[in-house]
Amino acid sequence: MVQEKRILYEHLDVPGINTFDVFRQHDGYARFEKAIAEYQPDDIAKMVMDSGLKGRGGAGFSTGLKWSFVPKDIKPCYLCCNADESEPGTFSNRYVLEKNPHLLIEGILICCYAMGIETTYVYIRGEFTLGKKMLDAAIKEAYAKGYLGKNIRGTGLNVDIYTHPGAGAYICGEETGLIESLEGKRGQPRNKPPFPAVEGVFRKPTVVQNVETLCNLPFIVGEGVEWYTQMGPTYGDTRFDPPKPDPNTGTKLYCISGDVNKPGVYELELGLTCAELVEVAGGVRGQEVKAVIPGGSSAPILTRYELDTRLDFTSLTLAKSMLGSGGIIVMNETRNIVDCLLNIMKFYAHESCGQCTPCRWGTPWVRDIVQRIADGNGRKSTITRPRFGIAENGRWGDTGETEEIYEDLDLLESVANNIANVDTMTWNTICVFGIAVSWPAVSYLRKFRPEFEATIREGQLTTLSVEAATVPPEENYAYQQRIVPRELE
Amino acid sequence: MSEELIQIQTAFRFSEENQREFDELIGHYPVKEAAMLPTLHLAQKQAGYVSPAVMTYVAELLEVPLMKVKDVVTFYPMFFEEPVGEYVIRVCHTLPCALRDCKVVLEHLKARLSTDVASETDLGKGTTADEKFTLMKVECLASCDVAPVIMVNDDLYKNLTPEKVDKILDNL
Repeated sequence: MVQEKRILYEHLDVPGINTFDVFRQHDGYARFEKAIAEYQPDDIAKMVMDSGLKGRGGAGFSTGLKWSFVPKDIKPCYLCCNADESEPGTFSNRYVLEKNPHLLIEGILICCYAMGIETTYVYIRGEFTLGKKMLDAAIKEAYAKGYLGKNIRGTGLNVDIYTHPGAGAYICGEETGLIESLEGKRGQPRNKPPFPAVEGVFRKPTVVQNVETLCNLPFIVGEGVEWYTQMGPTYGDTRFDPPKPDPNTGTKLYCISGDVNKPGVYELELGLTCAELVEVAGGVRGQEVKAVIPGGSSAPILTRYELDTRLDFTSLTLAKSMLGSGGIIVMNETRNIVDCLLNIMKFYAHESCGQCTPCRWGTPWVRDIVQRIADGNGRKSTITRPRFGIAENGRWGDTGETEEIYEDLDLLESVANNIANVDTMTWNTICVFGIAVSWPAVSYLRKFRPEFEATIREGQLTTLSVEAATVPPEENYAYQQRIVPRELE
Repeated sequence: MSEELIQIQTAFRFSEENQREFDELIGHYPVKEAAMLPTLHLAQKQAGYVSPAVMTYVAELLEVPLMKVKDVVTFYPMFFEEPVGEYVIRVCHTLPCALRDCKVVLEHLKARLSTDVASETDLGKGTTADEKFTLMKVECLASCDVAPVIMVNDDLYKNLTPEKVDKILDNL
């Protein structure tokens, strides 16, 4: 069985780790001190680039690359730490904030040193009252100990950290939505470009990083790039010749919830399979796995045939899904996929910010269609197509073959694909919220179509057996197209 | 200016303690408008909800048009535009909680408080007659490992069953 590899969470359960002194005893701030003593800011940026660290917030974009886009000559530059953890199924940042806030502060300090940033805003979810309280207390302590403020440790480095509470809007987890919200406006995402790295909060260059990404920095600096890159697979991107290295290095805080015996956060090296993770979390609660959502509710669902997919950024992308924020939700054989989709679509219809028409009108429309199907009023019709052949009476004529058309299923796919097209990966909205809606809608439908059809046919929620409900691999579009990446030798 | 308008504008002031907190947080931002969310949180904590008087006051403090404050208040679900009960009970009903029977918890709360669930446009629907509780459904509270969860004001309660809910309500 795969063993947990606790790095970020190593000292999480140490009593009093939220205080400066206990954190200091467990190597706390030593890595920041090493950074300012031994490295130039550019060295750190290079280390982060070499480490292959990918952003843990959802997009999985290379952190080093993101930093390289920030213009050096425009000041001030801001750091926004994204602690607006709202994706259903994700809850790893909460524990960092509540139990080990100094680790985040250390990560922020290293980022600020590398990028020459003096002001950091931690955008923290409005509902995280305890997390905000703990972080505020830790920041106060760090100021008192001289690790924040002006002229830190006599190096001339100035860093201020402010916490900024959100107010319950999911869309503020999107980086430009977060920036708008931070500026005191509605959290409606901006058009990109300009990217936040060039023009972000207060029209100044801004680095937006997830809590988990920043918490990785002390370990990259402290233990070195070589140590860090040993963890997790590095694939070869075969679009290039010779294959270009595509690192999925480090550990990930996998949040697993739903029908497993021991839900929780497990810190594991990237690259274990979905089935292995379910095993680590105490196995499935119930008889068998019906479906797994691999990366928060926006990620396309995986069927039981796809449980051998490795849970890292590259593998899941090539399997037509995504790792996202690492929130894994498991469903067992008793679950009805239509019902699950309805729940998720209610979420998205509620959380659409209302800026772009396809999303504002499309999300409630999708929700209403799924609601109609779940209520047993799904629309279908039976048509007789004139097909010529040997008819029942033995003579040449219309065979009268009938075909059932599930109009609502076609409509559902069409509406979802018009918010964002999952096949071409183009969206008709400003931000990626559009694709976060149509991905689940279309993937649930295509992968569990028999259950949708049965529900419409029977006129009520009908749960089929796992085997009957799942579209077999030979007809599963995603399974057919998926590519299993190969590790570099 | 009509008398009514004057009344609205003078009806709300920060308490001394909150004024101090506001003075501190306004210094965090290069533009005043950016302090909108924390200021509204602070004002809501004092007034119980964001009344027109509060909005006018905040607009004056941050030197922005009233419309901008209203714009923000209507966007974020955590700001209440009408009075709510002393205890606001938020029940998470997103997928991981739904898989762990949050419906049972919600139904139990509805029966025990004999109230309906508040909707965004009608908070009164979820408020009990004695104005002690407001029951509302919210989206994911990021505690899926300990589902089902509810939040009562600022406190999170985990792994709930109807019995545990009873205990929580009894202790309030």
